[in-house]
Amino acid sequence: MSTSALQVAISVMPALMAGLVETLKISAAGIVVGSALGLLLGVIRGQQFRYASPAIGFYLHVLRGTPFLVQLYIAYFVLPSTGISWLKWDSTTAALVALSIYTSSYVTEIVSGGIRAVPAGQWEGAMACAMNRWQSLRYVILPQALKLILPSLAGVYVNLIKATSIVSVVGITELTRQGEISILRFPADVLLIYGIVAAIYFSYCFPALKAVEWLERRAARGS
Amino acid sequence: MLTNNAASSGPAIVVEGVTKTFAPIGGGARCRALDHVSLTVAASEVVVIIGPSGSGKSTLLRTINALEKVDEGRIVVAGIEATSPKANLQTLRMGVGMVFQHFNLFLHKTALENVMLPQIIVRKKSRAEAMEISKAFLDKVGVLDRGDHYPGQLSGGQQQRVAIARALAMQPQVMLFDEATSALDPEMVGGILDLMAEMAADGMTMVAVTHEMRFARSAADRVVFMDGGTIIEQGAPEDIFDRATNERTRKFLSQIH
Repeated sequence: MSTSALQVAISVMPALMAGLVETLKISAAGIVVGSALGLLLGVIRGQQFRYASPAIGFYLHVLRGTPFLVQLYIAYFVLPSTGISWLKWDSTTAALVALSIYTSSYVTEIVSGGIRAVPAGQWEGAMACAMNRWQSLRYVILPQALKLILPSLAGVYVNLIKATSIVSVVGITELTRQGEISILRFPADVLLIYGIVAAIYFSYCFPALKAVEWLERRAARGS
Repeated sequence: MLTNNAASSGPAIVVEGVTKTFAPIGGGARCRALDHVSLTVAASEVVVIIGPSGSGKSTLLRTINALEKVDEGRIVVAGIEATSPKANLQTLRMGVGMVFQHFNLFLHKTALENVMLPQIIVRKKSRAEAMEISKAFLDKVGVLDRGDHYPGQLSGGQQQRVAIARALAMQPQVMLFDEATSALDPEMVGGILDLMAEMAADGMTMVAVTHEMRFARSAADRVVFMDGGTIIEQGAPEDIFDRATNERTRKFLSQIH
């Protein structure tokens, strides 16, 4: 049994590794694009502009009140059927758009919450020193907000990495999909193969959690 | 300095018919914090504003550097029209230093970095130059040895000294003090007031909101009493403290001693 398990593990490993590379690429792109979008929206929402902040609030509620799988289906099946040419996405584009928007909804809330948690006196101190809004944000508010933001971001990124397993349903052969394909090859070893898949996800997510813990400690030293 | 030209010709601060209302939390009628207030401050004059809490004195102070927008009226500071929609607020605030009740030091920066940051960002000075200026001002207010400390590691009095150094290092023409000693331990108050008196003696134009009547009496050229969003009475310190003509002024002064 143990030799055959090892043999199965060895023979599915190249496929799983190829899946991991795909998962890495998708999740990295989702983190970068989702964070950039979330940072932009969060900075706007955190400052309580009259129209922009409620509009972003609506965007967040819609995204967070619907399952990611449904969002992915809309990006892949519904938008292309609208007939608008630039919305005719292939599965990778649809998956990236859906993941980025999904991630941005959480990043936005975390960033705006972090900005609002910085005492109002910090804005006033910066403004009274003749800094404009952007300078106040860049040099006074965001550095302080970042400390509050980092630990929560770790959670979002780990969620995103795990959510990439869902994009297998639109035909992307990432880690989970490669696992399913491997199970077709070795139907008797379902437990083993899913176990390996889970272990690979864990070994990706765990360092991500640790890295942000380290960043958090480093940022906390400043005060 | 170029920006000083406008100031030298006229009064340092002109406030004309300023009205400011706030929307109360939870709705209802807007509350009127300032009601057609006018005040002129000459260059090098020291004006102390006194009055009960909620009288609008802090709001008035905060309109002078445009931290509060006014509903009505006109404010000109050092030749710059603060209430104009086209006003460059950064230029305005470069000429107006402000010291807050709760210091408002940048919490993620050391004392020295607090003084340096606006020099670098706003005045576009090099790091070396900003550091030299900042150390000189920290020395002037007596906390040069605390330069490497973060605000959380300083006493209230030390934090306020750093805040004063930060404001002075911008070379303002006008200094505003919003209850600068109210949050301090009693033994720290005297030192800060001495520092303010020193600035006044150096010819700085100052507007100070304070509850320190002894400071008002000794350092002010003019004392302004506010209540209910209006200026009730103003005059030389001895006229206000010893010979106030208005009933509300007399009542307020009798209550605080």
